[in-house]
Amino acid sequence: MHTTTAQSPPTRLTWRQRLSRADVRYSPYAYVAPFFILFAVVGLFPLGYTFVVALNDWNLLTGPGEWVGLANFQRELTDKLFWNSIFNTFSIFLLSAIPQLIAATAIAAILDQNLRAKTFWRLSVIVPYVVTPVAVTLIFGNMFGERYGLINNVLSTIGMDPVMWKSETLPSHLAIAAMVNWRWTGYNALILLAAMQAVPRELYESAAIDGAGAVKRFFAITIPSIRPTMIFVVITATIGGLQIFTEPKLFDASASIPGGPGREYQTTVLYLWDLAFNRQEFGRASAVAWLLFLIIVAIGLINFQLSRSIAGSGPGRQKRRRKEKP
Amino acid sequence: MTTTAPPTAATAPVRRRRRRSGAGIQTGPRWFVYAMLGALFVGSTYPLYWSFVMGSSDKTALVEMFPPLLPGSQFWANVSEVFATVPFWKSLGNSMIVSSVITISVVFFSTLAGYAFAKLRFRGREGLMVFVIATLAVPTQLGIIPLFMLMKEFGWTGSLGAVIVPTLVTAFGVFFMRQYLVDVIPDELVEAARVDGASMIRTFLNVGLPAARPAMAILGLFTFMTAWTDYLWPLLVVPQNPTLQVALSQLQSAKYVDYSIVLAGAVLATLPLLVLFVIAGKQLVSGIMAGAVKG
Amino acid sequence: MNTNRRTRFAAAVSGLAALSLLVSACSGPAAGETEEPNDTNTTTGENGGTGEEITLTVTTFGTMGLDDLYAQYEEANPGIKIEATNIDTGGNALTDWQTKQASGAGLPDVQAVEEGWLSKVMTVSDSFTDLREYGADDISGNWVDWKVAQATDAEGRIIGYGTDIGPQGLCFNGSLLEEAGLASDREGFAELLGGDDATWENFFDVGRQYHEATGKSWYDQSGFVWNAMVNQLEEGYYTADGELNIVDNQELKDRWTLLANAAADGLSDNQTQWDWGGGQAFVDGSFAVAVCPGWMLGVIKGQIEAGGGDASTGWDFADVFPGGPANWGGTFLTVPTTSEHPAEAAALAEWLTAAEQQVAAFQAAGTFPSNLEAQQDPGVTGQSELTATFNDAPVGEILGSRAEGVHAQFKGPDDSVIQEQVFGAAVKEIDAGETDAEASWNTAVELLDTIVG
Repeated sequence: MHTTTAQSPPTRLTWRQRLSRADVRYSPYAYVAPFFILFAVVGLFPLGYTFVVALNDWNLLTGPGEWVGLANFQRELTDKLFWNSIFNTFSIFLLSAIPQLIAATAIAAILDQNLRAKTFWRLSVIVPYVVTPVAVTLIFGNMFGERYGLINNVLSTIGMDPVMWKSETLPSHLAIAAMVNWRWTGYNALILLAAMQAVPRELYESAAIDGAGAVKRFFAITIPSIRPTMIFVVITATIGGLQIFTEPKLFDASASIPGGPGREYQTTVLYLWDLAFNRQEFGRASAVAWLLFLIIVAIGLINFQLSRSIAGSGPGRQKRRRKEKP
Repeated sequence: MTTTAPPTAATAPVRRRRRRSGAGIQTGPRWFVYAMLGALFVGSTYPLYWSFVMGSSDKTALVEMFPPLLPGSQFWANVSEVFATVPFWKSLGNSMIVSSVITISVVFFSTLAGYAFAKLRFRGREGLMVFVIATLAVPTQLGIIPLFMLMKEFGWTGSLGAVIVPTLVTAFGVFFMRQYLVDVIPDELVEAARVDGASMIRTFLNVGLPAARPAMAILGLFTFMTAWTDYLWPLLVVPQNPTLQVALSQLQSAKYVDYSIVLAGAVLATLPLLVLFVIAGKQLVSGIMAGAVKG
Repeated sequence: MNTNRRTRFAAAVSGLAALSLLVSACSGPAAGETEEPNDTNTTTGENGGTGEEITLTVTTFGTMGLDDLYAQYEEANPGIKIEATNIDTGGNALTDWQTKQASGAGLPDVQAVEEGWLSKVMTVSDSFTDLREYGADDISGNWVDWKVAQATDAEGRIIGYGTDIGPQGLCFNGSLLEEAGLASDREGFAELLGGDDATWENFFDVGRQYHEATGKSWYDQSGFVWNAMVNQLEEGYYTADGELNIVDNQELKDRWTLLANAAADGLSDNQTQWDWGGGQAFVDGSFAVAVCPGWMLGVIKGQIEAGGGDASTGWDFADVFPGGPANWGGTFLTVPTTSEHPAEAAALAEWLTAAEQQVAAFQAAGTFPSNLEAQQDPGVTGQSELTATFNDAPVGEILGSRAEGVHAQFKGPDDSVIQEQVFGAAVKEIDAGETDAEASWNTAVELLDTIVG
């Protein structure tokens, strides 16, 4: 992510009127102030106050109780269910992010050919994007039904055992990842397609002259060129993926335990919700929010470092940027 | 408050080279490519079609080993059950209001701040921008517990304001607009306007705003989608005055024995965006692609 | 098909309602009834003057059989409009109530509260209107006494009117039993299980015979069976004085072992609770028996219909229950203090839980009346569309007999959490055939420590 700002030529202030001078000096603050004020109120303050709540034995219904210091954090860090939720979150995230990235790259490569009805094919891959996660989950939740669902019906006709999509760990993670992937793969494919189209054609031509085949050209030129975009896709997927809630919440409509009978697919945000709004533990839920917050920030930093060191290796990127500079 | 990834975009979608027709590589024979595309098409659309088939049949269709191929005749009957169970139109209106207000607010404040960061010089600019970038990765959605208490304190629970307020601005929006405007508006243009004696706000309106329009459209589109799909937060603050997503989940929990109605509802709730997709699908495609030219 | 059912159903209910009005007119007004019409009439009068319409919101859950009563009430009380919301399960209704209670807004005028989480409600009982202000004292004799006692908080405020109670009998599929060569008629089946001396041991042994003969499962899933096994104990998850009573509770553990062994022997069909494959499992012969509190009859009727079955599917209802009388669930209608029309809401709650409405609800959903007069009503003891689904079993009579000897077990504040989140997980383990009795019991104890401890 590029952060440097453009250089402005030296300004000539001498002849300006005082009013105009004030205009120049203070207007920028007026432009950025609404954002910062609103953000402080609805973004930062709640995050800070979450910490305060986390220091209390706070009940959903009866309100703040005793001041317990860091006990809630301690409690969560030793709670099996918390770690279970972290495991589930990461497992579902990896099961969705990795196949999704591979599939999206492959789809982008297919879409990057000389095609008839190009727009039609591009449109078709993002149809799932307009189906909201709630609707996606209602639809797939039924298809993944254990006893009478469409998918297990199909499996049984080809002689396979039914899969326990809603009560076993790996199958439930695969099912939820499938929902996420269905909605997002096409979307990410288009992003990668855009990146592929920005790869200078000459690179391919000279490689072809050198005798490189299509597959070799794809791995030697296309992939390295779009790597920064791939990283960006992963970063955005991380921030969303670690906060996944809708899909596990609605996956099994009638389940009495949110996230599966043995919490097989209870993600951290779902665990947080369960703690706060079922088990009334506002204090502990706030501690969970903070722990998750720290995890996401840590991963964000790692991502940032990673992308900084890798992004530079994308051919042509720096050059192009420089060309844009005035 | 949402499980969706924010739309990806990093820098200005400035078209810097002629679009190539086709890539430098060809994989496999033509029929293979079209077969793959056909499979993709089926994969992306079949679940939706299946829901429509199920939502237009009576519930015994779900019991059959294989789904019927063609839609049944019960769609309107099922839809009227949907209307009888959840306040569909009201929730649709609520979602419209919530998503529109959030979109307008985010786009407006982001453009304003993004323009200032991109083109105006002021003390503390660098520092504040670093702050914006730092908060990009901060999951502010995790502040739901205090926000929930705040809404209770203000007595806003149950009103749409409670849904709208927490997402009136996003750091992402500011970052996005700044990255776009920094490239797209020549500094000379801003200077020229100033030399002509235009006030700052005039310059913004005459130079900044017109230049920002394409990026505003993209940001607006994605903000709208994010607000439209949000579920956790509205579930907490307006269960009694639901948005479309909350109403849809309430339909599921009220009619779980009657899944054809639930699926009819899912199809129905998808229709507004599907219509939008049919009308503005091309723009959506180019928006996604333009928003991410370089990453 | 669905609409047909609805219309038929509506016709049946309105017919019955008319009938019960006639009945109550003949029998003369009971204590509470004289007051109620006055209440609503004055309201109506006021509203008639200002032309204002009062909207009362009602939140219920499961299958409470009240749907068709709302229209009736609206008709009888011009100026009152009822907006009803129903939630699938009591557990989800608890979450919904908690969230709204905590947010300080959005609670309905009339909130249905389940017995299983009444203890949680009692921790904030001052958020509910004391119905004595609206005449609860005068009519409290209309209900079975323990029902009223449950709805009374520590300060003696009555915060809810009882709708139904949940005495349990056994639902069984006669055709399946016949195929297995077991007694398939109501009396014979009760006899087979030991009649008044029916025990869980024998219940499972008969199940093993059935399993041997057919290879099929005996009951749908272990969760509800476990629920019954716990609920009928003198003391359940808590002692009567409110102490957690699980880890060293040998009686509870013995019952768990019985259940776990039964599941290990293939007696449980491991169905998804409240889902049963969209009702299909009730129709395709997957299992032969299910534990049935009154209100479950309405649920099962809906499931049978959803699965494409009808009376010929073979379900029946027997006057027998392993381990003696047991109660599961039962509901109260409360009026949260956030209601802007507490008088009208209280009047509606009172009306909905009065004898004739309990009769109508029973016929719609099998919710066995907590109202003493309604329990004796021919509408309860006689035939109805509900009884037709269960092979014309005298459902009301049987439930009345099953209600004898039922006692109200003390429910602690985390009772529903323990039931669903602690034992729910352990039950799923034994049903999936993953562990034995000892290991799954340890799972539960461990979870108890994590979740409630």
